[in-house]
Amino acid sequence: MSMVVEQAGGERADLRRLGTLALRAGSLLAFVAVLVFFSATAPFFLSFFNFTNVIAQSAILAILAFGMTVVIIGGGGNVVTGGIDLSVAANLGLCAAVYASLIQAGQGDAVAILATLLTGLTVGATNAFAVVAVGILPLLATLAVMNVAAGLELVLTENTVLSASTPFLMAINNIGPLGVPNLAWILLVVAVALILLVQFTPMGLRLQAVGEHREAARAAGLPVARYVAATYLVSGLFAALGAILSVAYLSGSSTGSAELLLGVVVTALLGVVFSRRLVPTVGGTLLAALFIGFLGNGFQLLNISSYWVSGVQGALILLVVAATSVLRRKES
Amino acid sequence: MDRFKLLELGRRGLLGGGALAAAGLLGLGGGRGLVRPAAAAEGDDVPSLEGKTIAISIVGTDHHWDLEAYKAQIAEVERLGGTAVGLDAGRNDQKLVAQLQTVIGQKPDAVVQTLGTLSVIEPWLIRIKEAGIPLFTVDVPTPHSINNTTSDNFMIGSSLALQLVSDLGGKGNVVVFNGFYGVPVCAIRYDQLKAVLKYFPDVKILEPELRDVIPNTVQDAYTQITAVLNKYPEKGSVNAVWSAWDVPQLGATQAIAAAGRNEVRTYGVDGSPEVVELVKDPDSPAAAVAAQQPAAIGKASIQNIARHLAGQPVPSFTFLPSILVTKANAAEAQKQLGQG
Repeated sequence: MSMVVEQAGGERADLRRLGTLALRAGSLLAFVAVLVFFSATAPFFLSFFNFTNVIAQSAILAILAFGMTVVIIGGGGNVVTGGIDLSVAANLGLCAAVYASLIQAGQGDAVAILATLLTGLTVGATNAFAVVAVGILPLLATLAVMNVAAGLELVLTENTVLSASTPFLMAINNIGPLGVPNLAWILLVVAVALILLVQFTPMGLRLQAVGEHREAARAAGLPVARYVAATYLVSGLFAALGAILSVAYLSGSSTGSAELLLGVVVTALLGVVFSRRLVPTVGGTLLAALFIGFLGNGFQLLNISSYWVSGVQGALILLVVAATSVLRRKES
Repeated sequence: MDRFKLLELGRRGLLGGGALAAAGLLGLGGGRGLVRPAAAAEGDDVPSLEGKTIAISIVGTDHHWDLEAYKAQIAEVERLGGTAVGLDAGRNDQKLVAQLQTVIGQKPDAVVQTLGTLSVIEPWLIRIKEAGIPLFTVDVPTPHSINNTTSDNFMIGSSLALQLVSDLGGKGNVVVFNGFYGVPVCAIRYDQLKAVLKYFPDVKILEPELRDVIPNTVQDAYTQITAVLNKYPEKGSVNAVWSAWDVPQLGATQAIAAAGRNEVRTYGVDGSPEVVELVKDPDSPAAAVAAQQPAAIGKASIQNIARHLAGQPVPSFTFLPSILVTKANAAEAQKQLGQG
């Protein structure tokens, strides 16, 4: 009797492993197929300039999505009750407004950078307080903070574009070592550092434990609350970093940063299929951000209307979320 | 020849004087030492774009003006036998910059950028120029573009302001939407309003100025104007609402009508069909709108590209006429704009 059960369980586990493997291999294959297709059909797609340019263009989205990924890792992947930071995009908008306002007020880059990082951290700390100390669901807490940040941005900018141009900001936009844009270098350095921190240090492993099995982590004596709070601070810091890059990219602060939110959520979710165990990882998120970047770029080079890009993104998300939910259900 | 009539009205309406001969009908610029849009309207002598790829980048197409200009640009490239790469940034500056960056690698035969916040796009326009790609613009006055095709926004701004002053009898309070000063054409119209009001000190701009927004422009303008009317409940305390385009004007007009304050008049620019319709309605608070010809502007910008690529000289600026639509001429203007 028990043998039959075990066998069935074993089969189910095999099936799940197979499904996971298929999904992961499938998504990597899809990524490669898209790259091959574009390079075969779109002139210039594989050119060094275009390739590095897409990496640079993906930097802001990817860095915001990194923050989101860390929050999801620490808070658990449940979309409703797990970790999520809906305030990242609005935080970027506020931070960019702070940076541009200070430059317009005649301050230097050093002051502006410091104030921007502090702003991002403050928004992150507010999220952490609401989620950890007050115990509000992250979805709702960060939604409220999102509105506060968006409101403060409007106070600063009066909903106009604040232009800001300094040698430091211009340097961010320039081509860097080996002919690769500085924005691309920044993205790669941040990604590698974060991958090392989250995937390869004891602290990173503990963070994953907190997210995946909170009770077990607590029983093992981990300061769970401190870890969860820290993820929101990291997310706030990354929003500030993204804001500095955005101010450079757009030569100032611009309206409509809230629109970034959907892309960030899409990227963080899509990143799951690029990981070995279908969990959120920094590397997976990086691949997802690049995938979305290459998709948009290839469409432009092939002269396919950009209106299709959002449609394809939506379809991808539906596919990914459906596949991962089916696999998760089998798991539980 | 609808077009001929339209252009003639543009001349009559805006230049007034009969100094210009028939050849001058085509451009406002003729009388001001600027080169007129040489035969831009006919388009029969325009060189072919056969085998050429033209990148058409626009800030967004959610407004009547943008969509008309964008569609006309693509249609004209195709009519001339070229390939159009349509790039609509959907009012997202990140996307706009990304598409301009990608264009540099794409190396089309020419790029035309329509609208945009100058500080955001100019660094990338410079890079396009540095990459050796011929750069053209619509409504973006920048020294880096070979030709900027546009309405004469100085004329639009001052004639709209003068109409406002005249309607108010040289005295009154004006609510101003000034949310897009970073967009050069809006800045020009606003500066012209200020320049005119300098000589009519009894016409005052109410502080604080309002900020129009994108998206939800109509609803937002409605809310803001409703609030202003509540703040100034006495009839005659607010006399006019001015905006640099006509979508805020639409919301403002609706708010004024809903509040029963039809003594407040609204003024705007572009000439979207629904706004021209409101101006035509004798009971509507919409008093005037400076109507542009977005499709003709889009078409002329492409014809300039075709001429340049064929080695012909192209002026730095091409101005297309506009019509100041008021209650008096709205019905006629509607016909000439091909609306209604």
